[in-house]
Amino acid sequence: MQIYLPIAELPVNMFLIFGMGAAVGFLSGLFGVGGGFLLTPLLIFSGISPAVAVASTTAQVVASSFSASLTYWRRKLIDFKLAGVLVVAGIVGSTIGVGIFTLLRRTGQLDLIISICYVTFLGLVGGLMLWESIRSIINTRRGRPAPLRRPGQHGWIHGLPFKMRFKRSKLYVSIVPILAIGIGIGILGSMLGIGGGFILVPALIYILRVPTSIVVGTSLIQMIGTMAVATLLQSGNNHSVDGVLALILMVGGVIGAQFGARLGARVGGEQLRAMLALLVLAVGIRFLVNLVSTPDELFSLATLAGDAR
Amino acid sequence: MNAVGRFALLAGLTLLALRPAAAEQLVVALSTDHVKISSSFTGTGVTVFGAIERDAATISRGGVYDVVVVVRGPDETLVTRRKERVAGIWLNRDARTYLDMPSFYAVHSSRPLDEIAPKEALMRYQIGFDNLTFRAREGRPQPGDEAFSEAFVRLKREAGLYRDAPYGVTFPGASVFQTTIDVPANVPVGTYRVSVFLFRDNAMLAASNAAFGIAKTGFEQFTFDLARRNGYFYGLICIALALLTGWLAGVLFRRD
Repeated sequence: MQIYLPIAELPVNMFLIFGMGAAVGFLSGLFGVGGGFLLTPLLIFSGISPAVAVASTTAQVVASSFSASLTYWRRKLIDFKLAGVLVVAGIVGSTIGVGIFTLLRRTGQLDLIISICYVTFLGLVGGLMLWESIRSIINTRRGRPAPLRRPGQHGWIHGLPFKMRFKRSKLYVSIVPILAIGIGIGILGSMLGIGGGFILVPALIYILRVPTSIVVGTSLIQMIGTMAVATLLQSGNNHSVDGVLALILMVGGVIGAQFGARLGARVGGEQLRAMLALLVLAVGIRFLVNLVSTPDELFSLATLAGDAR
Repeated sequence: MNAVGRFALLAGLTLLALRPAAAEQLVVALSTDHVKISSSFTGTGVTVFGAIERDAATISRGGVYDVVVVVRGPDETLVTRRKERVAGIWLNRDARTYLDMPSFYAVHSSRPLDEIAPKEALMRYQIGFDNLTFRAREGRPQPGDEAFSEAFVRLKREAGLYRDAPYGVTFPGASVFQTTIDVPANVPVGTYRVSVFLFRDNAMLAASNAAFGIAKTGFEQFTFDLARRNGYFYGLICIALALLTGWLAGVLFRRD
């Protein structure tokens, strides 16, 4: 069934978009990630302009993060104080991100920067995750216990000033790295249309040493706050949020996520991480191929504001 | 040239000047005034009907009439960019900004344009892709301009927004013609100007204009306007929608 998207200004097959939302929702439920890093590229590769794809996925991330956070909230697995600091930093970051986004659209370099960012971050994170999970799979096979977090192991991060106490996470750390992480994720998230969970979660675990039980719920709150502000700014500055597109994606996404989560409960955590790592790498490589291979069409048309035509 | 010859030429010119200014007249009608874009819009067709009317004084001449129908969508300024390879990566480098280009352009004719009229006439009325006026914001012509204007037309044609039909105008009767312009789903909204030109023996005899509008309607119109005029309010609605969807899903699929 064809449906006309009022902001993207083109008709799409409703079931195709719904299916994409559901498939990505399934994977995000399976791996416990937002799925924005899959959804935005899928939309772009299916012909929706990067600007509309990024902005509409932003709204979709709000819905899927909120849906997922309800469970963590009921189980009290959220550090609201830490989330609050992250959200404040995230809002600053997404304001900067949307500003850069608007500027890049006008100069016609948005697609390039989005591609380069995807290649860099997906490649980096995917590679690290794959290495990490392969190592721990090998360790488990050999019967060696996974390295535990030792108390009193502090890096230079913990020597920074402006310390703050986070009771729920049992942390007493400087807010400088927290703000830096929040701002960084905010910029990236709003520019790329991703929640940034696949970067935020490892960052919170490895840099701040937030307990793994708390980290997912807390990062979901950060994503809701940051992406809601990004949606607002994208809509206000770039008029590129397609509500109809976002709604179809949201409904598909939250339904798919339920089935993914059910399957995910039955598959081993290390195997899941290795699969997610491969998926992340594959998307990154797809963007890399696009960047370096000779395009069929060298020319492109766009309005002065940067809308592809 | 002898005297007789000179006289004959003068007589001919006088006759030409005395000819009524509009011996032939065009009557044009469209199948619709308004194309409405609703949620099920996947494109449509607008049919242009016309009749060639001759007043009694017009001498019936040999040769056939040729009709050219040009439809122009609202003007827009577009940037044409060209990718170049820099350090192994393809990125947008050179660009030309073309001012006031038709966002949609269809030219239907009863025969190929070059058989109907000389190049100068086609250029004057901007009939045909090759005869569109490209005004670059960059100012003076530069080497390589042609590659950009050619790419512009090619991309527009691929998008279905520039179309031509060299035998698209048909004559169901001797002086009645019609053609149907396909309007694809991705058309921009606005006023579309229809110009009909009547040619015979390489000369333009008459021209007539009409117009139709393409507009979003109902929900599409409302959403588009809201997003354009009250972007922040529209953003708030989208966020509320997201939270509601998320909450509903969380409640419906609750497992604990």
